[in-house]
Amino acid sequence: MKQPDDAFCIDIVDTKCVPAGNDKTLLESLEQQGVAVHYHCREGFCGACRTKLLTGEVRYTTDPLAFIDDDEILPCCCIPTSDLKVIVPL
Amino acid sequence: MKYTTFNQNSINTLDEPMFFGNPVNVARYDQQKHSIFEKLIEKQISFFWRPEEVDVTRDRVDFQKLTDPEKHILISNLKYQTLLDSVQGRSPNIAFLPIVSLPELETWVETWSFFETIHSRSYTHILRNLFSDPSEIFEDIVENEEIKRRAADISRYYDDLIFATQLWQTQGEGTHTVHGETHVINKRELKKKLYLCMNSVNALEAIRFYVSFACTFAFAERKLMEGNSKIIRLIARDENLHLTSTQHILNLWAKGKDDPEMAEIAEECKDQARDIFMNAVEQEKEWADYLFQNGSMIGLNKQILCEYVEYIANQRMSAIGLDTPFEVKSNPLPWMNNYLNSDNVQVAPQESEISSYLVGQIDSSVSEDDFADFEL
Repeated sequence: MKQPDDAFCIDIVDTKCVPAGNDKTLLESLEQQGVAVHYHCREGFCGACRTKLLTGEVRYTTDPLAFIDDDEILPCCCIPTSDLKVIVPL
Repeated sequence: MKYTTFNQNSINTLDEPMFFGNPVNVARYDQQKHSIFEKLIEKQISFFWRPEEVDVTRDRVDFQKLTDPEKHILISNLKYQTLLDSVQGRSPNIAFLPIVSLPELETWVETWSFFETIHSRSYTHILRNLFSDPSEIFEDIVENEEIKRRAADISRYYDDLIFATQLWQTQGEGTHTVHGETHVINKRELKKKLYLCMNSVNALEAIRFYVSFACTFAFAERKLMEGNSKIIRLIARDENLHLTSTQHILNLWAKGKDDPEMAEIAEECKDQARDIFMNAVEQEKEWADYLFQNGSMIGLNKQILCEYVEYIANQRMSAIGLDTPFEVKSNPLPWMNNYLNSDNVQVAPQESEISSYLVGQIDSSVSEDDFADFEL
């Protein structure tokens, strides 16, 4: 069985693939891997970390209040439930 | 259509658009057309704070140590923010409440404006502590040309919508002449004014505060004016939520999830909406220029501040379906994130330690003795 820390593979388009845990938010996983994602509130209400999700599924730890489009996610309050392909503006 | 404070007709608010439907009658929140506004109200109320909870007394000592250019930066920003919140504390109420048609949105507008009044009161709290008599500062807000220019641009779209709404509600649709000026009033024109006004408010919440925020937090990075910074953090947290609400409104319209006519207007006025945003960006850059005209402060200069404005403008323009016109790809002021993180917004000790300050607290500990005189 995979360790919680590298449960899923996050493919950041044009950058690299990093592992992500299923016991912390996607934002925390990305930060742990040295990927600097823009953030403000870390609670899902401001939308600063809005990220485009190309493939994969996530679940939310809290109801996201910020506006996100159908193909977008808020890494600060979601946990991957599968491998993901995302676009992080770097 | 005449406004009424309690519409006697029975209306199903689930079928109403956000604005320009029937006036709201029962303030009920058991059913919501757009539940996001109810969630925003709850979140906003959970943020409740009072300026007096933040101890700013040490700032007075710090303020004396600042250089003259630094004092100019700090005070000018406080003046500008006072202006912004003076406008925001009343305008959403006056402009949006007479035309709103959903109870949850009506209450959101009231809650939103109320928090802006807390912000206004906090500037008095800060300034009273820095000066024995802060009148001069407040009086300069209506005399300072740099601030007045911004005020004119901010209030323009509100005033336009408010005036047209008043004409419509008193005279009805048609062509009206008031003080020698002719005004064409119809639903479509009113909705256009509302759309532009909402874009102007969105740009205000998205961009206009951030140059001041950056300066305040740059002082805090040097362990200066920390009381001030603590208050501004609380304000920034609220403003983030307000921005979320205007982004939702604009997107609900543009995606045809509310009034279909507003979707058409959004498409039709897209260029004007973009201009409003770009104008706000330009004005903020000019503001940075004015702030640093006498000299920079440690950790910040005009160029990096302008890049930061462009960086957040890109993000906030894309959130409402606009293009991202600026080159900046990475955050030029990464330390700003720490100040805008709601986890780092500390509560005052008395709020967490003295129980009478706790809101809605329940003593949930139950001992066996509590049931001593209880019989079945």
